[in-house]
Amino acid sequence: MGLKRRTFLKGAAALGAGTAVGFPGIWIKNASLAQAAGGEIKVGVLYSLTGTTAIIETSLNQATLMAIEEINAEGGINGKKLVPIVEDPASDPATFAQKARKLVVGDKCVSVFGSYTSASRKAVLPVFEKYNNLYWYPTLYEGRECSKNVIYTGAVPNQQQKEFVPWLVKNFGKKFYLIGSNYIYPKEENNVCKILLKELGGEVVGEEYVPLGHSEFSSVIQKFKDTNPNVIFSTVVGDSVVALHRQYKAAGLDPAKMPMASLTTSEEEIAAMGGEFAVGHFTSAPYFQSYDSPENHKFVDAFRKRWGKDKTTNFVSEPAYFQVHLFKQAVAKLGSKSLTPPDIRMASWDQEFKAPEGMVKIDPKNSHTYLWPKIGEAQKDGQFKIIQQVKEWVEPLPYWAYPGQVCTPNGLENKKA
Amino acid sequence: MRTSVMNARIIGYAAFCLIILAVPLFIDDGYLLNKLSRYLVFGILSMALSISWGYTGILNLGQAVSFGLGSYCMAMALKLRTIPIQTGANGLPDFMVWNNVKSMPWLWEPFHSYAFAICAGVAVPVVLAFLLGSFIFRARVTGVYVAIITLAMLVVINLLIIDQQRLTGGFNGITDLTTLALFGVEFDAYSPATYYLVALSLTAALFLGLALISSKTGLIMQAIRDDETRVRYFGYDVASYQNFAFCVSAGIAGFAGMLYTLVMEFASPTFLGVPISLSIVIWCAVGGRASLVGSALGAIVVTGVQGSLSETPAFLDTWLLIMGALFIAVVLFIPKGLVSVLDFRLFRRGRRRETPSARPAPGAAAPETGRHASAALPKKFRAG
Amino acid sequence: MTDTINQLFTGLSIASILLLVALGLAIIYGTMGVINLAHGEFVMLGAYTVWLLQSQFGIDLLTCLVFVFLIVGAIGWLLERTMIRRLYGRPLDTILLTWGIGVMLQQAVRLGAGAQLRYVKMPEFLTQAVSVFGVDQSAYRIFILLLTVALLFATYCLMFRTDFGMRLRAVMQNPEIARCFGINASRVYSMTFAYGAGLAGLAGALVSPLKSVSPDMGTGFVVDAFMVVVVGGVQSLLGTVVSAGILGQLSGVIAFLSNDTLAKALVFFSVVILIRFRPQGIFAMKMRRG
Repeated sequence: MGLKRRTFLKGAAALGAGTAVGFPGIWIKNASLAQAAGGEIKVGVLYSLTGTTAIIETSLNQATLMAIEEINAEGGINGKKLVPIVEDPASDPATFAQKARKLVVGDKCVSVFGSYTSASRKAVLPVFEKYNNLYWYPTLYEGRECSKNVIYTGAVPNQQQKEFVPWLVKNFGKKFYLIGSNYIYPKEENNVCKILLKELGGEVVGEEYVPLGHSEFSSVIQKFKDTNPNVIFSTVVGDSVVALHRQYKAAGLDPAKMPMASLTTSEEEIAAMGGEFAVGHFTSAPYFQSYDSPENHKFVDAFRKRWGKDKTTNFVSEPAYFQVHLFKQAVAKLGSKSLTPPDIRMASWDQEFKAPEGMVKIDPKNSHTYLWPKIGEAQKDGQFKIIQQVKEWVEPLPYWAYPGQVCTPNGLENKKA
Repeated sequence: MRTSVMNARIIGYAAFCLIILAVPLFIDDGYLLNKLSRYLVFGILSMALSISWGYTGILNLGQAVSFGLGSYCMAMALKLRTIPIQTGANGLPDFMVWNNVKSMPWLWEPFHSYAFAICAGVAVPVVLAFLLGSFIFRARVTGVYVAIITLAMLVVINLLIIDQQRLTGGFNGITDLTTLALFGVEFDAYSPATYYLVALSLTAALFLGLALISSKTGLIMQAIRDDETRVRYFGYDVASYQNFAFCVSAGIAGFAGMLYTLVMEFASPTFLGVPISLSIVIWCAVGGRASLVGSALGAIVVTGVQGSLSETPAFLDTWLLIMGALFIAVVLFIPKGLVSVLDFRLFRRGRRRETPSARPAPGAAAPETGRHASAALPKKFRAG
Repeated sequence: MTDTINQLFTGLSIASILLLVALGLAIIYGTMGVINLAHGEFVMLGAYTVWLLQSQFGIDLLTCLVFVFLIVGAIGWLLERTMIRRLYGRPLDTILLTWGIGVMLQQAVRLGAGAQLRYVKMPEFLTQAVSVFGVDQSAYRIFILLLTVALLFATYCLMFRTDFGMRLRAVMQNPEIARCFGINASRVYSMTFAYGAGLAGLAGALVSPLKSVSPDMGTGFVVDAFMVVVVGGVQSLLGTVVSAGILGQLSGVIAFLSNDTLAKALVFFSVVILIRFRPQGIFAMKMRRG
């Protein structure tokens, strides 16, 4: 009998303690602050600081914070300071969704800067669409998306490939081997590549997808040797890039005859693989750290001063940086009107900013960005030599390969034939 | 004696459930309710593992398979009812259109019906568990080897789901889902309705589990956990009981998966990943694997602490370190879990010993799995 | 013909890397029944040690190997003495403990060395390809293969030709009786764990120039290594070797014929089948119990 009461009391006590520990939210008052009260503008920063994609997302976090600091140092926006609320979604889409909810619903940020992988963007999209908030997405991606709650500052396939593929065919040949990581970005880029190749009379001699994080490429390299392509069109990401390059060279393949042409290899990966393994391969991107412009020199110097002199900038951290400035311009334009995400979105249309890569502009038709694709050849010192640069900025066409569809400010529309 | 133990348990469980159910009376912030719902779903998941691990001795490292499959079933049903706002055409989900799929795959057809989806969410994991279980338990594979096999199956299924992008959305998962509306109630992820659904499910699962482990079947399951060979000598078909526990565990996990889709508003292959599967084991162990409410509590406390720590700016860098240290501390000093701190007397009364902790000699690790009949012999000579 | 040679070599290379990682695990699991989920982190620590030594002191890879073995071995020894030894006889609990240790190690490295990919330099003379039977192969992979064989041989000698090895095998078979004979079982366990950890560190060091170095590089290795150990048969060195060979070659062949995703799935599937029909693995050590 005593057992019953004691057990019960102990159980209740433990439960209470456990609850209190586990749910600090219960006893920490969740002060709901207005979005832009008293000289503060709250923005969310949602990049993984732990986990597999932390490798690159930490640089995005750093670029974003640096931009915010710059803006605040100049007095903020219309006298109001930007307050970044940083969350770590730990490279897990479910956690991304959770943190996005916190930033949008809990902290009431007016905008959130975030995401590297498409999976994480897709996971947070419902939150932004439901609460009509605004997500600024800086990463190159596969296109075919047209959300009214996202501003896309990364490159889409037409911007990355329209110059690149013809150049490759002209300089190296028509046989392509497509290798990518196993998810939608590489598959969609390869779709576009195949369309371009067909127009040019090219041929796909192999197409393969390896698991994310895969690092054993001996079988793949064997297939390269077998099929003898002119170009290896690579969309592997992360660790796989480093492993592939190293094993390629170690196996004795020659980049002068069978170069790897990538959309995802950046200064970051080259630093990790060692310059000698990257020499002779190509990347297409709107930005390279070696680009010679006053804005870029300023950007790289500031980044190094702030985060460490061995740091590199790359084509994902640069958009993460300039998108904050575009945000600033949009908010500044709104003046003393109330700051709501839809207003910010509309104010951001046609905003232009002299980014490190060149003048960029947000396209009002689809909320994507006009960019300056470049073709770079990797050098031994870890930087890219820019071989070709477009003469004028390239319009973003997220549905370029799908003529029946077009992205409009009100969302996706199907064109009548 | 057993009756008073039982009554104590029932009262304890009821108190726990009442507290859980009463929460929305004090909290009306949708975001918080959603967070709590997520923790409760993990509680159900952890409790399911406890049935197979704590009570039957089967360490299912692939529990996430059942969880993930359940969540995908629900996601598929919801997806088919989403008004396509991205690119869907011909009633095809948007991701299929991106993958240039021309017509609805036959696998998706039956999910137009909610009834089918809900049944499938439980049935598919159970069937899979049954098949796998029949395969391994008949061969008297137990202990660590079951763990390895379930882990391997997890990796395989994860790879397959990510690979079959045209069917499953690949690495992105199935996102952009409509809200479930059943029996006139809308289960929006932030609404009290969803919270109550999850809380009620947890309550139901707990009492179902309690009924199970208090029954004769439950006794036999626990006997199998303690000494499989001895139960076999008594004439019971051990493999069937193991398979039963395995399947029940899978079914509950599948149901938890369906609830998770409602709470998170998407389904992702990360739900079937190795990290989350290992996490389930951790929650179960921290809370007390041999206690249903303990393991549920373990999940809620651990994920709760994790959620709070990772959201506190001061711990942004170190929350993982703290979690790791906490686990180590719990494993070393409170091996039976948090619940054991409460009522160790209850535990000691009910069981004589658990096989793993009774062994002082690490060298005997291999045969302790009970594979060789000769392993039964030394036990007679070991001090009880 | 070149295809077959290529294929054979690919399989051997994959197998040798598998074996390198699994060897330490096999020894630890075989001797102590400890399921070391932090094994992948030992591999990672080995890789980071090389990076640190190379970037700070400019030591080349081959010289680093000695340091790596000692440093990671010491870390393993420390962990065993302070925490792991309390959980002998509870193999399922060691999963939790070592998982927690792994998480902490990973995060500590991430905080200390940063999350980005790190660069480890391959020794100059090994960066080229050499011609083997008329086919170009990566010199570095051949180097790994040879070193794996050497380590295998060293381990074999240690276990079967030294005093320590004899004590180790005695403790493996029956710790209580071994203790009766005056063998300090706890010291044997500590040294064995340290040796296994050291081997893992070596694996990480050797693999890092070929792949990449990041805080979570270890997780991928741990699952594969476990498959190898379990398939090979607990406590059987030969089993581990054969199993690594089979799984490696199988992986390579399927990957070549179709793709790497399918290869991984099929290999794991066959592991499931194999364990079911022969749970003790390919070579089970016959022992007397009791």
